[in-house]
This record gives sequence, C-alpha cells and structure tokens, in this order.
Amino acid sequence: MAIAVKLDDLLHERRMTLTELASQVDITLANLSILKTGKARAIRFSTLEAICEALNCQPGDLLEFEPG
Amino acid sequence: MSRPKSAALPIAYVVLRILVILNWLYGAAVLGLVIFANSYPAWFMKAIDVPAGVDPKPIMIGLTAIATLGVLAVPLNHLILTRLLRMVETVSRGDPFIKANAYRLNAIAWALLALQVLSMVIGTIGKAIASKEFPLHLDAGFSVSGWLAVILTFVLARVFAEGALMREDLEGTV
Repeated sequence: MAIAVKLDDLLHERRMTLTELASQVDITLANLSILKTGKARAIRFSTLEAICEALNCQPGDLLEFEPG
Repeated sequence: MSRPKSAALPIAYVVLRILVILNWLYGAAVLGLVIFANSYPAWFMKAIDVPAGVDPKPIMIGLTAIATLGVLAVPLNHLILTRLLRMVETVSRGDPFIKANAYRLNAIAWALLALQVLSMVIGTIGKAIASKEFPLHLDAGFSVSGWLAVILTFVLARVFAEGALMREDLEGTV
C-alpha cells in the first residue's frame, strides 16, 4: 500500500510498547497490531486523534505517502 | 449488545431439510408415474377420465412431456433449497454478509428463472392438449409474482455482494 504507517518508529522514539499504547487510547491490541503491520484498510478519525494525543504527534508523523 | 434469539432460523433450517427430502420423493413419484403410465397407457387413460371419442395419443405425449419437465424441476428445487440451507447456516453463525452468499443468491435467482420458464412451457403444453371434451387445468404458466421473485432475488444477490464488500472494509478499519 502507498500509505505507510510509522507507528513502530513513533513507539520506539517514545520508548513505549504497543500494549501500553492500547491501554492509553482504548483501542484493542489486535486493532493496533493490524495498524502497525500495515494490514488496515482504513483508519477512523477517532483512532487517529487518540493515537496522536497519546503519542503527542501529528497525523503526518504517523502516516506517510510512499509514491509507487 | 446481543440480539434476542429468534425461533425463525431453527424452524427454517428444519423445514428446508424436510423440503429437500420431499423434493426428491416428489421427483421419484413423478418419474414412477411416467414409467407406469407409459407401461399401462390404457389403464392410465381410463384413470384420468379421457372420453372415448378423444384421441389418447397426443394427450399421452403431452402429459409425459409435462411430467418429464416436472422431474427437471427437482434438481432446480434441490439447488434452491440447499443454497438457502447454507445461507441459513451463515445467518446462525452471525456472518451472512459474505461473498459466498451473494453467489448462492445469484444461483437461486437463475434457478428460479429456469423454474418460471419450465412453468410457462408446461402451461403451454397443458393448453395445447386441453379440449372441451378433456379440460385440463394446470397451475402453470406465466406468473407475475414468480417473475417478481426472480428479479427480487437477482437484486438481493447484488445487495449481498455490496454488503460483503462493505463488511470487508469495516473489518479492515481500525
């Protein structure tokens, strides 16, 4: 997919695990894992907002367009 | 939130299973009748009250054709009933909006269309062999509700195909 999810990098920078993020944003670990591995087909604004708030970042920090 | 359990699904499942068996029994009975009627045509003509002055040959040919077409309806009925059975199973599992159900509905729609065509052919043969001396009233021919069911099933198949796509999108949404 041309849109890359950089959740792994953000978590690494903030020394945070996926489980810790899941408990903070009230999203299941399974769903966050789908997002992290790039298997998600779509992301809700509410999910994006919760992740950005928890990681103190902008949507652009989380998503990146990779031209094919 | 869990939905209250409905008795409709278990009832539909049992009724469909019974209908599958009855359909084959019906087919076997019609086939038996065709063989018996053609083996003992004189007895058969007497049994269905064909008047003495009427030529029995076209009636015999017509009725045999009607019965043969009736037997052809058995595999079509079987296709419809078994596909419906599989669909009821998916509803019971709580996952009816899948591509397989869209294909099943499409197959049901084609089978219903074939049954309508069979019914019209049977109706035409019935009219051809009926006369003032030998009136034959068959519950066959063009049926508005039958053709409406065909269109409705084709539309429903498309609805399920779209539903399955939407379901896939929803499952991939985080």
